[in-house]
Amino acid sequence: MYDTAGHRRRFSGLLLSILMCGSAACARERFTRDPATLVAAIAGDPGQLNPAITTNGGVHTAAGLLYDGLLALDDSLRPTPALAVRWDVEDGGARYRFHLRQGVRWHDGAPFLAADVVFTFEQMLLRYHARTRASMASSLLSVAAVDDSTVLFTFRRPYAPLLQQLDVSEAPILPAHLYAGRDPLRNPVNMAPVGTGPFRFVSYTPHSEIRYAVNDRYFRGPSALKAVVLRIIPDEDTQVAALEAGEVDWLFAVPGPARRRLAGDARVRLVRSALSAGGSNCITTLGFNLERAWFRDVRVRKAIAHAVNRPQFVERVLFGEGRAADAPISSGIAFAHASDIAVPAFDTVEAARLLEAAGWRRTDTGPRTARGVAGVQDGTRFTIGFKALPSQIVYGDLLRAQLRGVGIDLRPEPLEQAVFAASVFTARDFDTAIGAYCNGTDPEIGVRRMYVTSSIAPVPFSNMAGYRSTTMDSLFDRAGASIALSERRRLYHEIQALAVRDQPYVWLVETSNLRAHSARCHGFSGSSHFAATAACTK
Amino acid sequence: MLRGDVLRRPSGRLGVVLLAVALGMAIVGPVVAPYDPFAITGGSLTAPSVAHAMGTDSLGRDVLSAVLFGARTSLLVAFAVSAIALVFGTAIGLTAGYRGGYIDDMLMRTTELFQVIPRFFIAVVVIALFGPGLDRIILVLGFTSWPTLARVVRGEVIAMRDLDFVRAAVAIGAPSGHIVRRQLLPNLMPTVIVTLGLLFGQVLLLEASLGFLGLADPGAISWGMLAAQAHGFLRVAWWLALFPGLAITITVLGVNLLADAYAAALGRD
Amino acid sequence: MYEVTARFVAGRLLQVVPTVLAIVIISFLLAHLAPGDPVLALAGEHGDAAYYAFMRERFGLDQSLPRQLAIYVRQVATGDLGFSYVYGRDTLPVILERVPATILLTTTALFFSLLVAIPLGAIAAARPHGGRDIGISTMALGLYSTPAFWVAQLAILGLSLKLGIFPVQGMTSAGGDPAGLPRAWDVARHLALPALVLASQEIAVLVRVTRSTLLDELARDHIRTARAKGLGEARALVRHALPRAMLPVVSIVGARIGHLIAGASIVEIIFGWPGMGRLLLASLQSRDTPILLGIFLVVSLTVVLVNLLSDLAHAALDPRIRVR
Repeated sequence: MYDTAGHRRRFSGLLLSILMCGSAACARERFTRDPATLVAAIAGDPGQLNPAITTNGGVHTAAGLLYDGLLALDDSLRPTPALAVRWDVEDGGARYRFHLRQGVRWHDGAPFLAADVVFTFEQMLLRYHARTRASMASSLLSVAAVDDSTVLFTFRRPYAPLLQQLDVSEAPILPAHLYAGRDPLRNPVNMAPVGTGPFRFVSYTPHSEIRYAVNDRYFRGPSALKAVVLRIIPDEDTQVAALEAGEVDWLFAVPGPARRRLAGDARVRLVRSALSAGGSNCITTLGFNLERAWFRDVRVRKAIAHAVNRPQFVERVLFGEGRAADAPISSGIAFAHASDIAVPAFDTVEAARLLEAAGWRRTDTGPRTARGVAGVQDGTRFTIGFKALPSQIVYGDLLRAQLRGVGIDLRPEPLEQAVFAASVFTARDFDTAIGAYCNGTDPEIGVRRMYVTSSIAPVPFSNMAGYRSTTMDSLFDRAGASIALSERRRLYHEIQALAVRDQPYVWLVETSNLRAHSARCHGFSGSSHFAATAACTK
Repeated sequence: MLRGDVLRRPSGRLGVVLLAVALGMAIVGPVVAPYDPFAITGGSLTAPSVAHAMGTDSLGRDVLSAVLFGARTSLLVAFAVSAIALVFGTAIGLTAGYRGGYIDDMLMRTTELFQVIPRFFIAVVVIALFGPGLDRIILVLGFTSWPTLARVVRGEVIAMRDLDFVRAAVAIGAPSGHIVRRQLLPNLMPTVIVTLGLLFGQVLLLEASLGFLGLADPGAISWGMLAAQAHGFLRVAWWLALFPGLAITITVLGVNLLADAYAAALGRD
Repeated sequence: MYEVTARFVAGRLLQVVPTVLAIVIISFLLAHLAPGDPVLALAGEHGDAAYYAFMRERFGLDQSLPRQLAIYVRQVATGDLGFSYVYGRDTLPVILERVPATILLTTTALFFSLLVAIPLGAIAAARPHGGRDIGISTMALGLYSTPAFWVAQLAILGLSLKLGIFPVQGMTSAGGDPAGLPRAWDVARHLALPALVLASQEIAVLVRVTRSTLLDELARDHIRTARAKGLGEARALVRHALPRAMLPVVSIVGARIGHLIAGASIVEIIFGWPGMGRLLLASLQSRDTPILLGIFLVVSLTVVLVNLLSDLAHAALDPRIRVR
C-alpha cells in the first residue's frame, strides 16, 4: 500500500502550479521578445527560399525581404531605382542599358556585380521562373555585362513592359558566386539564402518559422527593425487570433468575416495594397469554354453577363473589400484601364430576352430548354458545369443563386490546383470556370495571355475561353511593341472594346489585398519589402 | 419482446426520439423546407428571425432549408457506408474467426492492408485527386471502414468458439451454416451494433473534415459541409455553426444511445 | 520463453514486408493515375510547353508509368524516397523533420484521453444505465460529434484570447531560443491546447471501450463469486476488473494510432503545429507526389510497428497469446 493521500497532495500541487502558471503569473515568466522584432504570419511553408526558380507566391512572400530587383515599384507601380540606379532605353525600346549601384555587397560580403545579373537571368529566371520565362524568353536576344556595373538587355523587337518586370518578385537577383556550376533546384543555398536585401537569413525551421536579421550594410540604410520572424500559420482564423493575442504583428491577408472586428480594434491597423507576391491587380473572371455549342452564340454570353449582379459579389463574397469590375483591364493599371467602357449591367429582363432570342425557352421555373439552338439538341436543359479552385468555390455558390433567376442551372465543382489546371487548360473539359486573373503591372504581363490565340495552350490561366480573333492578336502585338504611353493607351482601349463586344469572359470583381498589423508598429509598404521601412515600439 | 426491452430503457427511448427527428428531417425535409436552399432569400448573415428561423449564411441563403435538405445527403452517406462496412466486416470477420488457420491469416493480412493507412488520409487523397462526389465518398469510406468491424467480429468469434454452447453444437454435428446463423450471429449483434454506431458518427464528421479542407461536394448539401462552411464565421454568426452541429449531435447521440440500449436488451449487460 | 517471444516478433516483422510493398504500389498507382498534372501545379500561373517538358524530364515524369514504378520501388528498397518537387530536397528528411512533432502531439493526446476516459468509463460501468452512465455517455458522445475544428476554435477563443492561459499557435514562442527546461516548458505550453482538442475526440471511444469491457469482466464467474463472498462493489471494479479490462484498451490504442495521426492533421492546421498531417495536406495541394507517397509509407510503417508493440504488450499481459 502506498500513501494515497500524499500522492494526491503532490498531484494537486502540480495541478495548481500549472493552473496558476497558466494565467497572470506565468504570462510574465513567458518569453518576451525584443520590441524591434517583427513577427509576420505566412500561410504556408515555402519549402525553399530561392524566388528566382519559382513563381510560387509563398516563396516570394517569404523570401522578398532577402533580395532586390534591378528596379523596384512604388505604390502606384512606377519603376524606381534599386540595384540599378539609372537606365537608358535605346533603339526604340529594343535595347535597355542598366547602370548598377556601386559598392553593393551580398550578405556574405562578396561584391555585387553585373555578372550576377547576367547569371540570374540566364541560369535561373529565364529557365525556371515561369512568368519571366513566358513573357520574355522568346523576345529577348541577350543579357550581357558590358562591364562590372553595366548590363545590356537586347530584344528582337521593341519590348515595352520590361521596366515593370524587374522588381524583386518578377526578377530577384541572386549571387552567381554561390550558384554557378551547380543545379539551382538542388543547391543547399536555397535553404540558407544570400541576397542583397534589407534583411539577411538567420534560420529556417520547416513548418514553424523563418528568421531574418537586419542587413546593416543595406544600400538604402539599415531598417529600424532588428529582426523579422516569419511564422507559418496555415489557418487564417488562427492568424487573426494570433494577431489579437499579440503573438503576431503582421498579416498578409485578413479573412472577410474578421474585417469589421479588426477595423474596430484599437490594437490593430489595416492597410490596403495593390501589390501582392502572387500577382497584382487581380480580377476574378468567369470564363466560357467557347468550344462548347452553348456558348458559341454571343447572346448567351451577354445574357449571363447581364444576369450577374457584381455589386452583390463585392458585398457578400468580398465583404466590401474590392470593387465590381467595370472593364476588362484592372483599374490598377491606370493608363490602360477603360473606365468609360459600358460592360453589360445587371438586368435580368434583358438577360431573359437574350436567352429567348438565342433559342433557350423557359416553360416553368426550372432551367430553360433548347429549341433551335445550333449544335444543341432540342429539349436539352440549360445545365452547365462550373469549375473552380476550392478557395473560389464560393463564387460558384453565389453565381448559381443568381443564374437560377434567369433559368440557368449552374453546377459548381471544386478541384485542387493540379486537377483544375489539367481539366480546364489541358483537356479543356469544362463549360465555365473561374480564375483570379492577375493583370500584373502592365497588360503585357497578365492581360495578353487571356486573349491572344497563341496562348490557347495547356498552361494554367492562359486563354481559358479559347478566344480567337486575328484583330485582337494584332492589337496586342502593336500594343506590346509600342513604347509611347498614349499610343498604348489607345490600343488597350480598343482591345477592351473588342473584348466587351465578344464577351469571352465576364469580369466579376477586382480584389484588393488587405493587410493587418498591430498598432505598435508602423511604416509598412505594400511591396515585397513590406517590413524594410517599418518600425515597432513596445 | 426485444422492442419492448429497448424502449423500457431511458437511453433507448431517448435514442428512438432523436433518431426519429433525424429520419423525419430526411424524409419530409425537402417538402417542408421554407425556401430553395441554393437561392438567395435574405440579407447576408442575418440572425435567426421569423422569416429565417435559423438565420442566413454569408450569401443570404436560408440555413433552415439547408439543414432540412442536408439531412438526406448526410443520412444517405452514413447509412450506405455502414451497410458496406456491415456486410464486408461481418462476413470477413466471421469467416476468419470461424475457419481459422491459413484462411484467417490471409484475411487478416488483407484487413491489415486496409487498416494501416488512416481512413481520413485515404479519403482526403482520393477526393483531392479525383474530385468531390457522393459516390466517391461512400465508396472510399465504405471500403476503409469494414476492417475495424472485421477485427472486432473475428475476436468475438474466436472467443465464442470455445464457449460451451458452440462446442456442444459442434459436438452434436450441427452444420457450420447452422452454427454461424443460430449461435454466432445473434451473439455478435451487440458488438456489431455498437461498433456501427460509432462508425455512423465518424462518417458524419468526416464529411465535415473534408469540407474544412475545401473538399465537400457543393452540389450536395450535407450537415458536415454546412458545419465546415460555418468555420470562418464562428465569431460573427453563431447560428451557422450551431444548427448543423446540433443536427449532427442529435443523430450521433440517437444512433449510439439506441445501439447501447439494443445491445443491452440483447443481453450484453 | 525468450525464444518464443523472439520468434513471435520475427514472424510478425516478416509479415510486414508484403503489406508495405502493397502499400507502396497501391499508393503509387493512386497518385499517378489520378487526373491532374504535378508540373502544372509546380509551374503556377505561367509557363509554356517547353518549360513543362523540361520540368517533366527533370523529375523523371517523362518515363512510362511501369518504369517510374520500378524506379520508385527500387529507390524505396534502398531507403531513398525520391526528390521533393516543392522542397528541392530529398523527401525522407523533409518527412522525418515532422515526425517528432506528430509523435509528441499524438502521444500526449492519447495520454490525456486515457487519463480522462478510464475513470469515466469505470464510473459509468459501476452502475450501468444509471443516471451517471447516461450522463457520461451523452457528454462523451456530444464531444465526439462536435467537429474538431470547432472545439479547436472555441478553445482558442476561450482559453487563449479570453483567459490568456495558452498561446494560440505554434510549437515554440516566435523568435525565442530557450534551451533545456525553459524550452520544455515553452513547448508544453504550446502543446496543451492542440493535445486537449485532439484528446477530446478520442475520449468518447475510449470511455465506451473501458465501460463495455469492464461490464464484461464484472460479469465473469470469479468476480461474481468474489462479490458473492462479500467483496465490495468498488473494490471488485478497481482491483479485479480494471486490470483485466486494460487488455482490450491496449489493443484499441494500437488500432487507433492511425486515426489519431490523421485526426491530428486538422488540429495541426488550426494550431500551426509543425506535424506530418499538415505536410500531407500541403503536398496534396502542390501535388508533391514524392512527399505524399513518403508520408503514406511512414504512417503505415508506424501503424504496423505500434500494432506490433500493442500485440507484444498484450502478450505480456496475457500469456495465452504466445501459445497461439
